[in-house]
Amino acid sequence: MPRIVVCFKWVIDEAYIRTGASQELDLENVDYKLSDYDRNAIEEAVRLKEEYGGSLVGITVGVPEATKGIKDALSRGPEKAYFINDASFDNLEPSQTATILADVVSSQIEYDLIICGEGSSDLYAQQVGPRLAEKLGIPCISYVQKLGIENGEIIAERKMEEGVEVVAAPMPALVTVVPDINSPRVPGLKDTLMASKKPVISITKDQLSQTYEPCLQTAGILAASMERNCVKFGGELEGIAGFVESLLKEGVIS
Amino acid sequence: MAGVWVLAENHRQTLELLNIGRVLASKLGTRLAAFLLHDREMAQEYIEYGADDILLLPSLPEDQSLDAYIPVIAEEAQKQEPDIFLVAATLRGKEIAARIASRLNTGLCSECISLTLDESGKNLEMERLMFGGAAAQKVTCRTRPQMATVPPRTFEPAVKQSGREGQIKELPVPPASALRVLEKKARAHEASDIREARVVVCAGRGIEKQEDMALVRELAEAVGGEIACTRPISEELHWLPENLCIGLSGINVKPDLYIGVGVSGQIQHVTGIRDAKVICAINNDENAPIFEAADYGIVGDLYEVVPKLIKELKGEK
Ligand SMILES: Cc1cc2nc3c(=O)[nH]c(=O)nc-3n(C[C@H](O)[C@H](O)[C@H](O)COP(=O)(O)OP(=O)(O)OC[C@H]3O[C@@H](n4cnc5c(N)ncnc54)[C@H](O)[C@@H]3O)c2cc1C
Repeated sequence: MPRIVVCFKWVIDEAYIRTGASQELDLENVDYKLSDYDRNAIEEAVRLKEEYGGSLVGITVGVPEATKGIKDALSRGPEKAYFINDASFDNLEPSQTATILADVVSSQIEYDLIICGEGSSDLYAQQVGPRLAEKLGIPCISYVQKLGIENGEIIAERKMEEGVEVVAAPMPALVTVVPDINSPRVPGLKDTLMASKKPVISITKDQLSQTYEPCLQTAGILAASMERNCVKFGGELEGIAGFVESLLKEGVIS
Repeated sequence: MAGVWVLAENHRQTLELLNIGRVLASKLGTRLAAFLLHDREMAQEYIEYGADDILLLPSLPEDQSLDAYIPVIAEEAQKQEPDIFLVAATLRGKEIAARIASRLNTGLCSECISLTLDESGKNLEMERLMFGGAAAQKVTCRTRPQMATVPPRTFEPAVKQSGREGQIKELPVPPASALRVLEKKARAHEASDIREARVVVCAGRGIEKQEDMALVRELAEAVGGEIACTRPISEELHWLPENLCIGLSGINVKPDLYIGVGVSGQIQHVTGIRDAKVICAINNDENAPIFEAADYGIVGDLYEVVPKLIKELKGEK
């Protein structure tokens, strides 16, 4: 029966980002969310556990304030969560996140399968899963749209540019999932209440075997500007005529 | 040690990386090496397209995937210590670049859209999108090699210069990867490439039923355009193939005219239409974010608006 680990990240909800003066990002009133595709990762882990039995734990790296994210993740099914946290863990780059996860997974967790989302909603670098697999020295199957276990092996359908590739790998292995693998359930009130009772194992920076310096350094972040006319017409005939008129004037239809 | 390395799993992207690779190698006064997947015949060609060295990867048994090369590539990198290593951002390319970077304990700029050398002429300044495309992040890499994955079409393909000379180095056969390919299924229907289309009509989740896609098609015909979609339409509903999905995880388009039908305009989608000349939207929610990204919008139910619009366009009033 597989012992499953699912990785998740608590991220800024990009829908709340506003552009301040001189193209600065205004992160004043942002809200946070569980990274979109990590919900698919958790859902898939829950589904596998329902089908094959076994156990399921969640793991995340973040700032101590990310507890809401732990609760959100736990309400979706994992039995417990590992929370590697430090005030300095707010802008980790992928190589750091992956090595920190590897540090804890290899020293504290017994596992057969690790599931990650294909990429996080904030950075979407799509590196943490593959890097983590490499640090643990286990097979990596990325961009998976269908997942199963047969005779103790992972069987996965990967979605590639030219079509689907069906692959097999021995466990332990790591898989990253694409969003069409499932539709994540929305946790109910009961799930949320239960989540607060589940164990959270807090791991602090000094409990890691070493410190992890960034390889990439952010030199600047600028809002991508999008200046458009923003003219709105109504849906009645005059509105539609005005719309078509505008397109004719722009010379984009004839 | 130095050198600029490029790796792509297909021909066109190898040429694109050779183009930018040549620029960087010349500025750094170093050699440009290109990986070549087993097809020895292409070696001279890649040399004429700008490579000084060809790193020839041996062919793999049928049940092996690109990932099998990781140990061989990482080992060669440890020996030669390239300064820059660019990998084409195909799905497989992104995975193996991350795993090679992990082996080499170095940084990787994912989906890098701009690469320039800084004032010292030694360090790359790389740009990528973050927050779904709402922002551009500029990064530098403190470790070596400086790695980046580069999306297709970020650079033009290199131009051939006959008579160039270079060296070919054969890399060893890798040990078998634990990952075995059991089956490959080609895509059922290959959709047309709309990255160069002049007019694009995009179907969003506001379309209720698959049959209703006919309405979007009809509008596309009326404006002489190609049909495209948002991610939910291709990924969740499978009403259109994935290579018609516009946005961060799909393709970028740059038409003269884009019309979004029942598209909310989330940033991950809008990122893919940034270079459109005129952006239009039809949505029944006047507060939908697409209207902030659009030049002209119609606020209304698409099921009423689109038929009327088609009539108007055809001049049948
Ligand atoms: C990391 C990441 C990457 C992503 N990459 C992409 C990507 O590449 N491409 C992409 O498209 N998305 C991408 N997404 C998803 C993106 O965030 C949005 O979820 C998606 O674009 C929404 O698609 P939509 O507008 O079709 O659907 P919805 O957001 O559901 O919008 C439907 C719209 O239709 C309108 N509507 C409903 N009924 C009617 C009607 N009768 N008449 C008129 N209007 C109507 C509604 O008002 C609504 O605005 C990504 C997300 C993440 C997290």
